Amino acid sequence: MGRLRQKGKAGAAKAYVTRSAAVKRLQCSLADFRRLCILKGIFPREPRNRKRANKGSSAPTNFYYAKDIAYLAHEPVLKKLREHKAFAKKLARALGRGEWSSAKSLEDNKPVYRLDHIIKERYPTFIDAVRDIDDALCMIFLFASLPSDSKVSPSLIENCARLAAEWQLYIMHTHALRKVFLSIKGVYYQAEVFDQTVTWLVPYQFTQNIPSDVDVRVMLTFLELYQTLLGFVFFKLYTDAGLVYPPPLDTKKDESAAGVGAFSLQEVQHTAGPEPASKAKTLDADGKRVSSKDVRQTIKSISATVVDDVDVDMPNVDSTSEEADEDFVAQPSRSNPQETAALPTLQALNSIPQSTSTKLFSPYTFWLSRETSRPIFEFLVRSYGGRIGWPATSGSGSPFEEDDESITHVIIDRPLVVKDNETEEERERRQRRKYVQPQWVVDCINAGKVLLEEPYAQGKTLPPHLSPFEDRAGAYDPTLGLGAQDVSMEDEEESEVEDVSEPEEDAEEEAARPEKAALKAAAAAEDAAALRAAELEAEAAGVDFGTFEKTAQKARKKAKSSETPAVDESEQDMNKMLMSNKQRKLFERMKHGEKKRAAEVSSSGKCDCASLIIFRSDKTSKKRNEL
Amino acid sequence: MQSEDEGSEGDESDNGEVDEFPEIDPRSDSEADEEYPGDSAEDEEEDEDKDDEEDEEEESEDQSEDDDISDDDLHIFPKAKTVTSDITGQLKRVFPPIEPDYDSDSSTEEAPNRVGNIPMHWYDELPHVGYDINGRKVLRPARGDELDKFLETIEDPNSWTSAFDKKAQADKPLTAEELDLIRRLQENEIPDAQYDPYEPTIEWFTGKGKEEIMPLSGAPEPKRRWVPSIWEKQKVMKIVRAIRQGRILPNKPKTASDKAQFYAIWNEEPSAHPAPLPAPKPRLPTHAASYNPPEEYLPTEEERKRWEETEKEDREQNFLPQKYSALRLVPAYNQFIQERFSRQLDLYLAPRIQRTKLQIDPNSLIPKLPSPNSLRPFPVYKSLSVLHAKTRVRSVSVSPDGAWVVSGDESGNVSLWEVIVGKEVKRWKFDGKVGALEWCPRTDVVFFVVATEERLHFVIPPNLPAPVLFATQAVLSPANLPPAPATPSPVKWTSVSAASSSSEKPILTIDLPPSSGLPKQIAWHRKGDYLSTISSGEGQGGVWIHQISRRHSQAPFKKVKGAVQLVLFHPTKPHFFVATQRYVRIYNLAEQKLLKTLQAGIRWISSMDVHPLGDHLIVGGYDRKLCWFDLELSDKPYKILRYHSRAVRSVHFHPTYPLFASSSDDGSIQIFHARVYNDLMTDPLIVPLKILRGHQVNEGLGVLQIKWVPRQPWLVSAGADGNVAVWCS
Repeated sequence: MGRLRQKGKAGAAKAYVTRSAAVKRLQCSLADFRRLCILKGIFPREPRNRKRANKGSSAPTNFYYAKDIAYLAHEPVLKKLREHKAFAKKLARALGRGEWSSAKSLEDNKPVYRLDHIIKERYPTFIDAVRDIDDALCMIFLFASLPSDSKVSPSLIENCARLAAEWQLYIMHTHALRKVFLSIKGVYYQAEVFDQTVTWLVPYQFTQNIPSDVDVRVMLTFLELYQTLLGFVFFKLYTDAGLVYPPPLDTKKDESAAGVGAFSLQEVQHTAGPEPASKAKTLDADGKRVSSKDVRQTIKSISATVVDDVDVDMPNVDSTSEEADEDFVAQPSRSNPQETAALPTLQALNSIPQSTSTKLFSPYTFWLSRETSRPIFEFLVRSYGGRIGWPATSGSGSPFEEDDESITHVIIDRPLVVKDNETEEERERRQRRKYVQPQWVVDCINAGKVLLEEPYAQGKTLPPHLSPFEDRAGAYDPTLGLGAQDVSMEDEEESEVEDVSEPEEDAEEEAARPEKAALKAAAAAEDAAALRAAELEAEAAGVDFGTFEKTAQKARKKAKSSETPAVDESEQDMNKMLMSNKQRKLFERMKHGEKKRAAEVSSSGKCDCASLIIFRSDKTSKKRNEL
Repeated sequence: MQSEDEGSEGDESDNGEVDEFPEIDPRSDSEADEEYPGDSAEDEEEDEDKDDEEDEEEESEDQSEDDDISDDDLHIFPKAKTVTSDITGQLKRVFPPIEPDYDSDSSTEEAPNRVGNIPMHWYDELPHVGYDINGRKVLRPARGDELDKFLETIEDPNSWTSAFDKKAQADKPLTAEELDLIRRLQENEIPDAQYDPYEPTIEWFTGKGKEEIMPLSGAPEPKRRWVPSIWEKQKVMKIVRAIRQGRILPNKPKTASDKAQFYAIWNEEPSAHPAPLPAPKPRLPTHAASYNPPEEYLPTEEERKRWEETEKEDREQNFLPQKYSALRLVPAYNQFIQERFSRQLDLYLAPRIQRTKLQIDPNSLIPKLPSPNSLRPFPVYKSLSVLHAKTRVRSVSVSPDGAWVVSGDESGNVSLWEVIVGKEVKRWKFDGKVGALEWCPRTDVVFFVVATEERLHFVIPPNLPAPVLFATQAVLSPANLPPAPATPSPVKWTSVSAASSSSEKPILTIDLPPSSGLPKQIAWHRKGDYLSTISSGEGQGGVWIHQISRRHSQAPFKKVKGAVQLVLFHPTKPHFFVATQRYVRIYNLAEQKLLKTLQAGIRWISSMDVHPLGDHLIVGGYDRKLCWFDLELSDKPYKILRYHSRAVRSVHFHPTYPLFASSSDDGSIQIFHARVYNDLMTDPLIVPLKILRGHQVNEGLGVLQIKWVPRQPWLVSAGADGNVAVWCS
């Protein structure tokens, strides 16, 4: 006979502790415990059986791993917090007695904790840290735009603004920006740093005030951690890029609202330093020069050879490449004849695809109208290699003036007004430049190529701005339903081309479209993958009648084959009889989920992506445990 | 002593020392010494005494002066005059001489009350006020009445300052002192007129002429009072040295430590500990969050209303999509900080659950079974149907050669028809419902049994070949009847003689015990000699086993737990299946004992059939379940199938083909392929093949009985709609 097992000596009862027990064990206040949890990244756990973990009580509590708490007990920060408590007492006593000098010396020797070891612990490798800086960046950008008050000190705001500028400088320097989305909440940016996608949200430039239902202390604790984390991450990023960290700040420029321009990136001077970065830069430039030649050659070769194979894997290129070529060359060549490099003829540039897509705006020079947000568009244009200038009302530091000859695009966000008293020179200049609305810049970046300016011209009703993050398979695509008046650029170009060249074919194509739609509808019964394939094919074959017919045939074949599955289905229905109860329930759940998702997609495309780890959505318990 | 004497100027007047002063005053110091008898001890210490005496002398002089002043206030004694004595030349007080007249002599006074100093209230109730020296009562002096008192107060102006003296038993005027005392008490003043609360401080040790000059102790001054401390010096020097060496910074530059210094923290090797799991990232924005979304994302009025009505926590989206025509018109998002904050709350307060997402195709869960097409033949269509007029057809039976069908309905009609053409050959009419009917499984004789109320009829179908007919008649009504059993049985066998028998009338009738009700089922033993019936009404479970050759019936069970629903003979062994409401029990008839109890998990068993090989049993229930038992395996079902939407009414194994079917109240018949393997390791293969629909549901009843046609993959089904259908492959 084994030993008698006592209750509460093993298992869940030992592995979990309640929050109050943890606080008692650490002998600190609840506020200190919260601070420790935030800094160390310790969060409550959900035991399998709450009753067993709480020694038979079913009272609502939060549980932590006992090991986590034991680990906290040895934390140097906890020791510092205790020292700080003693310090606060001493200081209060000194102030109460009016011993100013001793109070001052106490204040000077105030215990301060460092978070370096916590950063190293939580992020053992640099990649771990980069993966987790999303929230940190959001907070930094938020606090950089907040007004300072009694709780939020000006130095904190200043530090946040500095970190935000450093991050933007790095992204601009490395051309790491990938996607941008103008949402109603703010601007979402997505960059690729060390092969990790980093997404952050920047609020629009308005003064925000911290609402009363938000606990600032919690936010400040997070901010404390995030500042340290970002400091170390930026140090590593800058030094790896061969830059000096922190970048020196020109106070005079900063005071005249130069924004990111107030910082100057300096390369590390000494020879032992990381040279490859600068090398890479020149190589980059080299690559660009080479690529432009390459582009021309490949374009020529493409125009000579058959195009059929191209249109399959490169849907963004016109199948009638000769015209497309002319069209593309004609567009930018008005401003600059040597701009072929910037053409979105990506298929030719497989060897160095990044240098072109990340230097999307390099041939262009932009002028920001004063009603557009300078921090946003300066960051966007510069991280895609463009030059940008702005009026003095938007801050100092503009590299050129408004009457500069090199300006190709004006980003303007106001309705069209006819000016009567326009000088000849002004009119001439206005005709030479392109006036686009800000959305054009963002849509170009998301499309990975320079779009036609026409639909985005000043005063025009803009096409819808779509999220670049919804590229999940099977997601609802709003551009599909728009049919002939599709906004998507390739279709636009297509129709334009056809308008110019052969109106008969256009008519034919128009006639074919409904058929295509019908084809789509027929294919819609199939599973998502087949649907997608069919769509792709139909889209690619939009012009070419032969391929279109081929797909139509295919679709017909598919329609035929879809007859037999109907029989299969009833058979499968019968086979369901032999599923075990467990299997049947799982099957029904999965089917239910599928149906729900399909309904969502068909209604408005509002979908949710599932993450592997989720927060337990126990809102009430969260409310209750707000410290 | 000194303090007492000098304490207050007026003390003397109270303690009576004043009396002595005139006598003491003129005396010398030595005289005073002699006068005090207890001073002999003091004489030994001359020094101190001298001091004291000197002091005393001075003080007494002071006192005498004081007394002179204070005497003015006293009126108890006649006033003394201070005169210079002729003899001594000193000042002396002289009191006026006492005149020896009547007033002064006490003896001449009226005798006062001499009762002594006793509490006078002892005599309050008595007429006397005490006793005189001779023991006689001293009577209370007479006092006037109230009027007299009043008149006295009027007459005597001092009467209001007089009080009643109990000792004297008379009103006595108060003295001036007493009146003054009363006044002071009334006005909350200090009662003693002489007491001065504000007397000046007397500086005893520092006052003029009273300074302490001599040291209190003769010890020399210690060295520590004037030599600097060596330990203090050491301590200070320690700090000084630390400051010189730079270990202590008196005024630390604050900025240097304040600024966070960053360094290459990730340059050294990471620890072996795995990194903690990163927190889940928030969702990326969808098209709906765009400042300029496509039109279909904009909420309709009702969607907007619903969004506003739902609680903040319950909303699917935490914003309402909105469309702005230009970027400059987009306002600040007012929930920005709240959303950041809620994200942070999630990060440090929300428990995280790690979920494994099943990335499987749901269709892969459906078992892969051979296609029904490969398992042909099985019935797929209804080839014909025979109609019984307007009644439910409860029972149907197919002849062992597979050519004929008898079907019996609730109105007592039994019709005989051919399977292939459905032509009715003959019809019998019985009294009451037909509960069950069954062909005899023997092939050498041909007859069937019809069960009506409390009665079993053995009927020979018409148009039999002569040898078969004779054989049948010989079986059912033999020429010489077997001897009757020793004990009288409640079951009566009556037969018509072979000669007079016809196909019109049943050749043999068994009368079951009265009030046994309608037999629900007839089960034949495979050899065709025994048949078992279950009656619905009787208490004993109503199970009877009839032996035709011996024309004998017996009830195998004295007492059965639960109501018996069905019985079956095992096809090969002498086993007998009895299904009660919930359990199926298997008895060995030869050994007469219970072998096994099968637990079907069905609430109410409706039907049961055993596989022709005898190792498998299917049981259908009114709760829509069908259980497959492997009798070798377990007493729990090998498989439970639930596919009918209503109660299962009937199940049947095909005698030769690997098929079975079940019928239900939902009007459908389900055909299964059921392959059973001889080796014990392989599980039986059950494949659903076909759902046959065609019977109408009538008053909640669907297909009541199904029977396979032997030697053909055909099925005969009897429905509550009065149809009997034949399903062919």
